[in-house]
Amino acid sequence: MKYGYRRIVKAVFSAAVVTTAALDSQALAEKADYLQSGNKSLQQGRILWLENCEGCHGYGIADAPVPMQPDDWKHRVIKEREVLYLHAIEGFIGEDYSMMPARGGNEALSDDQVKAAVDYMLFLANFYIERQVN
Amino acid sequence: MKDQKQKMKLNLKHKMKRNLLIATSAVSIATTAAVSAEVSDATVSVKAMADALHLVMDSDRSVYTKKIVNRLVKKDKVIKASEHFEDDKALALPAQMFRFGSELAAKRAEKMDDVNFSYTLQSLWPINKQNAPKTEAEKTGLKYVAENKGKNYYTTEKLGGINYFTAIYADTGVAPVCVSCHNAHPDTPKKDFKIGDVMGGVVIRIPVEG
Repeated sequence: MKYGYRRIVKAVFSAAVVTTAALDSQALAEKADYLQSGNKSLQQGRILWLENCEGCHGYGIADAPVPMQPDDWKHRVIKEREVLYLHAIEGFIGEDYSMMPARGGNEALSDDQVKAAVDYMLFLANFYIERQVN
Repeated sequence: MKDQKQKMKLNLKHKMKRNLLIATSAVSIATTAAVSAEVSDATVSVKAMADALHLVMDSDRSVYTKKIVNRLVKKDKVIKASEHFEDDKALALPAQMFRFGSELAAKRAEKMDDVNFSYTLQSLWPINKQNAPKTEAEKTGLKYVAENKGKNYYTTEKLGGINYFTAIYADTGVAPVCVSCHNAHPDTPKKDFKIGDVMGGVVIRIPVEG
């Protein structure tokens, strides 16, 4: 919906529209979008990703690229994996000054744990990119 | 004080009778002008208006965060951002900028007959108790957006005899400094925030007829 500059409009009240009932919250770990994998390393990465990355990357908060959205990741999955690891471990300021905090803001994560979370995010991103292509 | 409240209430009712609201950007708030009957008869749902207002607020805050704070503090490292920005000769935090805008808009809106809305940044875990939810709608909405990431909360409430449409949008901690400051603050009721957590919400309230 577009608003004209200085446009004065009548606020239309409709009781049917305005109330949103509380919905049952779904456990993140069961969320269908976040694919499971038979690979043990990816399973571990999934747990780490859900705990440390999903809060932003699951929703595009603060411009975090969402792995379920192929356009966010097509140009990233072709980068060397070491570059992606480095950005996740050390943090990264993007061209538009968006910011990826070092280790997702969790200093307790080891390098290997961060890499495992990155691997899982790439696994997710590649799945959705391939699905779009097919 | 009672007379003043009564006067404010009557004034608000008078405003509502005109049944006009400005669907606005931050720019268009600043000026009122004569409008044609055709334009004043145009309509927009109050939900769409609240969503548009939030889009403007969120975009402005995001631009300040990225192009000012991240650029100067994180990338160029030429200045700090601090809660005590005046004493520290530093940049105000993005959440503080947002709150200052909210306070200024409230002050300006008092002088504008056709602008009836307010917005505030609140939390179920406020450092400043004044930012805790007060109405049932605020409490329910803040809980809802914290437990349902990616969803907004919309409801109506009647306060002081006035009907309001109330929309609540999640406010998420996106930088280490947001989380670490809240967790370490002596007045915080919650010390285990992590990045990506919903730390509060933006409450937009618009008076409606009905």
